[in-house]
Amino acid sequence: MKHVLYMAWRYLAYHRIKSLILVGAIALIVFIPAALRVLVRQGETQLTARAQATPLLLGARDSPLELALNSLYFSADVPETIEFGRAQDIAASGLAGAIPLYVRFRSQNDPIVGTTVDYFAYRGLRVAAGRQMATLGECVVGATVASARGLEPGGQVISSPESVFDLAGAYPLRMRITGVLSPSHGPDDHAIFVDVKTAWIIEGLAHGHEDLRQPQAAGRVLRREGSNIVGNASVREYQEITPENIDSFHFHGDVATFPITAVIALPTDQKSTALLLGRYQSDEALQLLQPSEVVDELLATVFSVQNVIVAALIVVGTTTLALVALVFLLSLRLRRGEIETMMKIGGSRPRIASILGLEMAGVLGIGLLVSAGLTWCTSQIGPNAIQYFLRQ
Amino acid sequence: MNGCPEVVQHLSVNTAVVIMAWLALMTAAGCARSESPPAGTTDGAPVVYVVNYPLQYFTERIAGDEVEVYFPAPAGEDPAFWRPGAEVIGAYQSADLIVLNGARYAKWIAMASLPASKMIDTSSAFDDQLISIEQGATHSHGPTGERAHSGTVSTTWLDFDLAIAQAQAVHDALVKLRPEKADRFEANFNALKNDLAGLDAQMMSIAQLIDDGPLVTSHPVYQYWARRYGLAVRSVMWEPDVVPNDRAISALKSLIAEHPATIMIWECVPDPRSVRLLETLGLRSAVFDPCGNVPDEGDFMTVMKHNTQVLREVLGGG
Amino acid sequence: MHPMVHIEGLRFRYRTSDFALHVPELALARGTSAAFTGPSGSGKTTLLNLIAGIRTPDRGRITVDGVNVEGLSDPARREFRIGRLGLVFQEFELIEYLSVLDNILLPYRIGPALRLDSSVRKRAVELAGTVGIDDKLNRYVGRLSHGEKQRVALCRALLTRPGLLLADEPTGSLDPANKMRVLDLLFECAREAGATLVMVTHDHDLLDRFERIVDFRQFHETAASADAVTARTGAGR
Repeated sequence: MKHVLYMAWRYLAYHRIKSLILVGAIALIVFIPAALRVLVRQGETQLTARAQATPLLLGARDSPLELALNSLYFSADVPETIEFGRAQDIAASGLAGAIPLYVRFRSQNDPIVGTTVDYFAYRGLRVAAGRQMATLGECVVGATVASARGLEPGGQVISSPESVFDLAGAYPLRMRITGVLSPSHGPDDHAIFVDVKTAWIIEGLAHGHEDLRQPQAAGRVLRREGSNIVGNASVREYQEITPENIDSFHFHGDVATFPITAVIALPTDQKSTALLLGRYQSDEALQLLQPSEVVDELLATVFSVQNVIVAALIVVGTTTLALVALVFLLSLRLRRGEIETMMKIGGSRPRIASILGLEMAGVLGIGLLVSAGLTWCTSQIGPNAIQYFLRQ
Repeated sequence: MNGCPEVVQHLSVNTAVVIMAWLALMTAAGCARSESPPAGTTDGAPVVYVVNYPLQYFTERIAGDEVEVYFPAPAGEDPAFWRPGAEVIGAYQSADLIVLNGARYAKWIAMASLPASKMIDTSSAFDDQLISIEQGATHSHGPTGERAHSGTVSTTWLDFDLAIAQAQAVHDALVKLRPEKADRFEANFNALKNDLAGLDAQMMSIAQLIDDGPLVTSHPVYQYWARRYGLAVRSVMWEPDVVPNDRAISALKSLIAEHPATIMIWECVPDPRSVRLLETLGLRSAVFDPCGNVPDEGDFMTVMKHNTQVLREVLGGG
Repeated sequence: MHPMVHIEGLRFRYRTSDFALHVPELALARGTSAAFTGPSGSGKTTLLNLIAGIRTPDRGRITVDGVNVEGLSDPARREFRIGRLGLVFQEFELIEYLSVLDNILLPYRIGPALRLDSSVRKRAVELAGTVGIDDKLNRYVGRLSHGEKQRVALCRALLTRPGLLLADEPTGSLDPANKMRVLDLLFECAREAGATLVMVTHDHDLLDRFERIVDFRQFHETAASADAVTARTGAGR
């Protein structure tokens, strides 16, 4: 057997370009549908698990899928916002706990999730290093963000401007990292978590600046209207919250009207779920959805697309295999002289046939091995790749 | 400010000696108290964190030993302006229940990250009755910017009827936390409610004695008390341990010219020189301790009863 | 001693042509060198193939080294051929994707009955040294000159220590210088191995070197032996 293997290997090595092309073709036609299946399966598992762990989601009445993806996977597509008071309404109803989410801003490409510390208990997230955020301007980072950017407790992250040209919009806020979360193998590993109030500071709804009542701030005063001091545009706002300036931070307007992107509602029981769903069913401005249903719809579409792609791949694959078979046949014809030589010298028919057969088997086998390896690699990077695309 | 160690002027000498001894003991205990969070519950009882002493008192009265109650603000510090460190905030985060006063009492709450699911606002039931601070500067940015909120009066418990509502909120939260103890909590709450109602009735009768007479208070913290008991109150900003300067005295004179008060209500025992000065202006001093932090001696009920007793004596001696 | 090759009453005809071969009798002594000569199409290569067992006669007997080759099964003939005969071809017939050494070792890789061990490898290297190509053992044969290629083929043929060496115009593709060199090597190696050499050749200049000349054209033999060979073709002789 070893001689047969040796001869087959020498042949493939000598015709390496042809061998590589054949191996590549076979590997691809097997790998692509296999990888597709792996990715769809992994995506299904991830999406389903995450969706099932999120009983109800309240948001603006618009695309349910956009709301679900932004809330569950922190995608870059930001849905219409709703008022923070809607989270308070749900909590006050006694039917469900309410966790607000404001997923709008980014630090480089990592989503900044404005929420409350309830989120961590709900998602089972634990702080692996450092401590939980305690005050405005502090944040905890997901495990993947920390390792990718070399972040650790005591470090800083800066929020990115939403638009390079939007000079009057949300300004960069420097935030202190107090903790790094344990890996959860989900979207939370890729996020930076802040208190929702900190997210409002990024947006500019809250800020800190020097006291306009002080004499040294006289140059920043536009005018006085009774007991109200109107500051002018030169008022310098702090870009970092420190123990020294935290007392200067304040909100302008009613916090209940401040924006959030969603509320995770945690109903106390089935009856509460039904009551809540009924309550928002005919609301024109708000939608309360069950993420598992949204994900099921999405997956149905994905499966349909997958089936179409696989059908197309079968056609392509069949054609490719036919071409590979043709190449083998032509190869045999080209090797006629070699075969005759071996026959004339006295080589045994079975052995000669084995050498020729093993060339084909070798190409097929290596192709299958390569596709198996690529599929395995896909399965390893699949979860992260899926989360990356969901975040876009 | 709360927790002043000076001898109360209007008590007998014997009582004063006893109180001083007690004060010394309490002060030593208070100073030893630090901001460190508890090491953990010893018997597995739920942990409740509060933001001021009245809430601690209400919680302990209602729950007894069924919960562990913690109020980590240092003695002598005004809980409304106390700023806990990250470690203490972490302890609040870990609590089973966080009892807030509401009405923007604890300023640090707005800056902290606390689990909303565990917080109760004991003033939410009377949200529409909260008093905004009319005076004081606000600010806005640009011609059309919204104003930053100037403030809300937060010493709600001085209206003993509102205090009952706050105690009710504490009771409801405790029943949710330990439903199996509902009967005991109900009985305890009713006892507390009776006590607070008694205080309310006492203040009502004192208000009749005051009979719309104008009062001046050393700080603007008595608005709910004034509203509930129909008292005409104006306030200055005098610190009990600081003798007022000429400008402050002049401002007071202007004030009492249009608001002819004869009594100055202090949060704690003032400097005797301030008292004498006020007397020259025709004002008697009376201490009505809001009891925001843990008293040096006694408890919330004894402090409030003492407050009403002092008022009676001042009015009776007037 | 029995002759190395003994043919009796051999008849062979190709199915698809008029060619017919009739060899009444032919005996080649052990250790002798014999040249098969004659015009193209006279059956020289055909008889070589019949002796090697590559083809089987329609009738007659072929005995090689005491074995009735025509009576063996195909696998047996192959085993006999690869183990006891050495073949050298005009076009070298080397395997392009194998190195010089691997080409020499080829019989041991395609013949299940042969065992490739270190002694065989050592012998292969020695043979390569004998013919002057031991410095090219790791090269692909495509990079060798014609003369070098034929030397590789010669080593391959000699590796199994055959008793009979069959060469079909081994110098036909070589230039004169290489031709003589290869021929010298062929004779030398055959002599050293004690092998019988049978060579098909068109080159009359080389005939003097052979002990036996089997002339397929004239159906004469010019050797000292009294054996006679008759070869008739369908060309009308």
